[in-house]
Amino acid sequence: MNSPNRPSPTVAPRPIARRTFLLAAGVSLGLPALEAMARPLAPPQAAKPRRLLAVCNNLGVLPDLFFPAGGGRDYRPSPYLELLAAHRGDLSVFSGVSHPGVDGSHASEACFLTAAPHPGSGSFRNSISLDQYVAEQIGGLTRFPSIALGVNTRRGLSWTGSGVAIPCEGKAADVFRQLFLQGTPAEVAAQVRKLDTGRSVLDAVGGQLRRLGSEVGAADRDRLDQYATSVRELESRLLASRGWEHRPKPAVAAAVPTDPGSAAAYLEKVKIMYDLARLAFETDSTRSITLMLDSAATPAVTLPTATTTEGYHNLSHHGKSDAKRSQLRSLDEAHMRLLAGLFADLKGVREGGETLLDRTMVLYGSNLGDANTHSTLNMPTLLAGGGFKHGQHLAFDRGKNYPLPNLFVSMLQRMGIEADRFATSTGTMRGLELA
Amino acid sequence: MSRPLPIALAVLALAVLAGTGTGAEPTAAQQEALKLLDAEFERLGPLLGQVTDAGYAEFVRKTLDRHKVQRASLAAAFDSTRYDELKLGLLVERQRLLAWLKPPALPPDARPRPRVASRPEPPPPDPLPYPVDELADDRPEAVGVAGFAPRGFLEAHCVGCHDADTRKGGVDLTALAWPPDAAASGSRWAQVHDRVAAGEMPPKAKATRPDAAGQAAFLGGLNATLTQAGRAAARRDGRSRQRRLNASEFENAVRDLLHAPWLQLRGGLPDDGVADRFNKSGAALDVSHVQLSRMMGLVDAALRQAIGVQAVRVPPTTRRFYAREQKTLVNEYQQVPMNTWPDRQNFPLLGTRTEVDVRLGKAPRTVGAADPARRELEAVGWLGIAFPKWDRTPIPVAGRYRLRFSGYTVWAGPNGYSGLFKGPDAAERVRQATRWHLPDLDDASPGRRDEPVSVYAEGGGRSRRLGGFDLTPEVAVHEFDAWLGADESVVPRATRLVQPRPPNPTNFNAQRDGAPGVAFRWVEVEGPLADDAAAAGYRLLFGDLPLTAFEGGGKRVAVASDRPKADAERLLRGFLGRAYRRPAAEADVADLLALVSAQLDAGVGFAEAMIAGYTAALLSPGFLLLQERPGTLDDYALASRLSFFLWNSPPDDALRTLAATGQLHKPEVLWREAERLLADPKATRFVEAFLDYWLDLRRIEETTPSASLYNDYYLDDALVEAALSESRLYFAELLRHDLPARAVVASDFTFLNERLARHYGVPGVSGVAMRRVTLPAGSSRGGVLTQASVLKVTANGTTTSPVVRGKWVTERVLGYEFPPPPPVGAVEPDTRGAVTIRQQLDKHRADASCATCHSRMDPPGFALEGFDVFGGERDRYRAVAPGGVPVAGFGKNGQPFEFHLGPPVDAAGVLPDGRAFADVRDFKRLLLETPEGEAVIARNLVTQLVTYATGTPPRFADRAAVERLLERTRAGGYGVRRLVHEVVRSEMFRAK
Repeated sequence: MNSPNRPSPTVAPRPIARRTFLLAAGVSLGLPALEAMARPLAPPQAAKPRRLLAVCNNLGVLPDLFFPAGGGRDYRPSPYLELLAAHRGDLSVFSGVSHPGVDGSHASEACFLTAAPHPGSGSFRNSISLDQYVAEQIGGLTRFPSIALGVNTRRGLSWTGSGVAIPCEGKAADVFRQLFLQGTPAEVAAQVRKLDTGRSVLDAVGGQLRRLGSEVGAADRDRLDQYATSVRELESRLLASRGWEHRPKPAVAAAVPTDPGSAAAYLEKVKIMYDLARLAFETDSTRSITLMLDSAATPAVTLPTATTTEGYHNLSHHGKSDAKRSQLRSLDEAHMRLLAGLFADLKGVREGGETLLDRTMVLYGSNLGDANTHSTLNMPTLLAGGGFKHGQHLAFDRGKNYPLPNLFVSMLQRMGIEADRFATSTGTMRGLELA
Repeated sequence: MSRPLPIALAVLALAVLAGTGTGAEPTAAQQEALKLLDAEFERLGPLLGQVTDAGYAEFVRKTLDRHKVQRASLAAAFDSTRYDELKLGLLVERQRLLAWLKPPALPPDARPRPRVASRPEPPPPDPLPYPVDELADDRPEAVGVAGFAPRGFLEAHCVGCHDADTRKGGVDLTALAWPPDAAASGSRWAQVHDRVAAGEMPPKAKATRPDAAGQAAFLGGLNATLTQAGRAAARRDGRSRQRRLNASEFENAVRDLLHAPWLQLRGGLPDDGVADRFNKSGAALDVSHVQLSRMMGLVDAALRQAIGVQAVRVPPTTRRFYAREQKTLVNEYQQVPMNTWPDRQNFPLLGTRTEVDVRLGKAPRTVGAADPARRELEAVGWLGIAFPKWDRTPIPVAGRYRLRFSGYTVWAGPNGYSGLFKGPDAAERVRQATRWHLPDLDDASPGRRDEPVSVYAEGGGRSRRLGGFDLTPEVAVHEFDAWLGADESVVPRATRLVQPRPPNPTNFNAQRDGAPGVAFRWVEVEGPLADDAAAAGYRLLFGDLPLTAFEGGGKRVAVASDRPKADAERLLRGFLGRAYRRPAAEADVADLLALVSAQLDAGVGFAEAMIAGYTAALLSPGFLLLQERPGTLDDYALASRLSFFLWNSPPDDALRTLAATGQLHKPEVLWREAERLLADPKATRFVEAFLDYWLDLRRIEETTPSASLYNDYYLDDALVEAALSESRLYFAELLRHDLPARAVVASDFTFLNERLARHYGVPGVSGVAMRRVTLPAGSSRGGVLTQASVLKVTANGTTTSPVVRGKWVTERVLGYEFPPPPPVGAVEPDTRGAVTIRQQLDKHRADASCATCHSRMDPPGFALEGFDVFGGERDRYRAVAPGGVPVAGFGKNGQPFEFHLGPPVDAAGVLPDGRAFADVRDFKRLLLETPEGEAVIARNLVTQLVTYATGTPPRFADRAAVERLLERTRAGGYGVRRLVHEVVRSEMFRAK
């Protein structure tokens, strides 16, 4: 069995299919950051594909309007869950769950998918995120092992095994082009040449590292090893990308999305990202997507039902002001409606006799249980689709929380990945059964 | 601990929310809400009675009548949206009445003169303010205590509580390895040592307390053993671990190498890991394929941009951009549906007279080149900050430019007007004078005061401040030089003006007889300035070889070479001589040459082959890694440590030469070089990088002041910039003049400009320039604790917490580290004014287990309770709750103040040693009144400096060295510059 925080050394390196590596001034800077991209081509998976979409709203929701009353299948939906009523049978809602030891208020957003403890401490080290763990195991099956998306941020949810942040992509149009726009033969040839040059460059770097390794003392050896490993990883990612270059990209009917320029078009951006995620799954371009909704960096926004008078972050520090709570509620409800739309869209796509939602785990939640108090306990958490017996409220102790990483273990196992542990998990999610 | 919303209010909130558009009879909660409206109507009556202008009074009366009708319709059918609108409408009317009755406290008609003169530039410090002595011998052999073993003491006094079963406080002393391993168990043993030495353990109540002799023997033995173990480990592996450059060092290194200070690289890299608060530790600076792939893309792009400077070698030219020819400026003359506020409109000026025909489109926008004399007098005026700007001020290529701005200040008014403005019809004006706060743009006159202007470079999705100047009522040209990237444009902003935001904003600068504004005639961009450095980047890469192609923004680059392989070797060796911080090994050169050679053989062209070689060089350990070997650093490694310490950048030629000739390690040379680096402008990189992490200044933009509680700060970029600047200039001043470390906490001066001085209530400072100002007697300012920047990064934009601020001060300034907090909920902030944060905290401080840490953590935070979320002084909290009477005024965004004054602030507290303080001045005095108090501040500063400089804080084994360092500097009051020098010559710095 593999335990996520100690990735098995036998796992093959994961290559990327980054379209363009050595582009010229001004071009490469704007490229999407699909760092964790393709792995060496792997044989097609016999089992049915399972997918993961993890979404974090880093300011969470008003807890009193989110958490339902009563447990089990007969729970009474909260005002927010009413908005998801059409999908009640396709989702489970969790209360009284959190990541053990994850404190540090806003800093905890780095741990939403990693559950690494004490992000606020001076010497915090992050660990691998759930999506990257999935990508390491099954990423080779698709053109992109994983995609990290973000709205109004470049700090995403994805972290490598060595705890390095993977910057997320905020421009849906750029991701769309990488996923679906086929280059001309000349462009493909030029791209292959660039990838080859990149590998030659890394080869020279690797030579120097090898010579240096013999001179370095034991204490620093692991730093050099990490450097050398990264060089090799990138090399094999480039190699795999080369392989994918010759395979045509899937064609989709959708047009290239238009990214709103303003951070105030927050909810519109969220919708565009949901659509993009659905398209990526539908075409089996990837099976692992993260989406960070950086509400904390979002200014005042205009909603169909209301206009907020100040930035999202300040609203979240509502200090019990009714006016602020009422605006927050409008925002939270808009999020719930978008989520309902995503579920409906995923149900609208059929794959092998099932809906896409049946094969896609959508994890929705927040690192903050209550933004007004900066509390990281009682994280609001929803899981929809993906092949579980849903339709229930798994209610745990709000005073002494149940470890949320257990849900991650259940999800990994549902993905067909052999894992019995993730971060501070103590088992699988109690009460959550496979469909 | 999450406390439930008080039931009555929760019911009110939900009931009001639930009422949306139902048209039903008002509920009880809605009746309550309507009563609040009635109270507001009642407050407005007496105010209206004081208005002496009949037209205005009539206008307000009609408005109120209309509002009363709305009130009645709400009583019939409640609607929460219309309720909110009405509430805001009444608030706006009230605030405007108050502003009319009591005009804003601006100097009404005079420029604020005389100005406070800038302090004359002080003389440079003495060449050798203190004697050079031999490098301190920081590593005497520790005297071990033969046969010392701690078990007996632990068994007798400790393990009763701290064994594997009881584990009191989570501590199991039986599990600690002996002899201590410096890395793993060393820090835990150090804790044992410190708790026992401080008399905290064993607890006083226990019968098992050791006698004095037993304790002394235990501590002596433990101290010696820990010190020995730490030194042995340092000798074997070094104190610090090998590390790569962090993102900011990487950016500086590439900029310096390619002579391209305009390169923006940091934003393209993943955030760096942080250890012991700094981004300087090998333990946290991981390398991943993500980093490498990003760096590969960035380096490739940077090389091509540097080549692009050569491709677009243009003689310096002066481009003038007339305001009257800017579409985005002249298009704002007319009111459009989206823009009906004069505060967001522009107006064409000829001198200080509005050209009404031009505004109405009846005359050409400009006389153009046909009438140069008149054209020179044409300008565009405006009253707000950000809305109007130049279309673009395109430049041909990245480089250094001279910027000139021609403009002056104006006054618009006295007549106000309202509604869609048609023309200068006298009859219209009389009617419209009722809206006194909306100035008549067609009636301009000379400015009444200076207006500070900040200039930004905008482009590529970024905005950065380039500089600033003060526009005066007299026309003047303001000039300064700046680096510009190829995609950047220049944008001047008059920072004191309103930044109106919907709905229905009011200019807080408005007075009965008009409002202040600015007028610009043109912007000139001259350059690229003939500068040897501009060509140096290309020369480093390709020497004298001619560039023959540069297409697609650098997608295709070609350089002609007759002897490609020979040229490649010559150029590559030259490049490595600068890119690497020590001589390149032949094998490394050979590898890179082989790469270039293979590329050439593959036919990619000379330039592309070289770019591949250079890219590999910049991704390789010779560039990315700080290569240090255990033991005393060699001169190359020492040069890097010194320059990454004092410049946050790689060594320059002079430092490199001293390393190559083996001079640098000599004490007087090292001292001289440290002095040289500190005197260089690049030392600002140190100040910024150090404060970004030590004081968290990198987080200054992370929170935004609440638009409802703090709209006087909201959108005020000038305040943020001044606050940041104050902290940096202040620390630079401590460094430059070797001021005593106590100045970290308290001083009688700081750095201010007009905006920040107004914030601090310091009179007599005008203009945008920051300058050193002596603080009035009794001021709470001076020292980092009461700087607006620090008070902002320790608040969340809405509320402040003594716990958060107290912990921050205790750790960052007093150097005491707390263990991670237990998993209990935080206090829930409440801005409704019924309960203060202190009252909430008193509960958990009463709990003995909480009090252990909080009695030490909270007091500094209490002292800072007298400061709001942006460091403004307060003696009452601000609150927003239904029913309060709002403070008079409008915010930067033109929205009325909604907050009212809540409970009084209590800034008193008691230090852990029992000394009581009444407020922050008192608190600062207590911190510094004893010699040990000053030593605490200095010791912490040394700790921060050592961590920044070496990546590792002083360890247990370094304590004696730190104490000796402090001892040597005590007589001079622990001068900050001297402390930096002492760190440089310490063994901690000079050995790995």
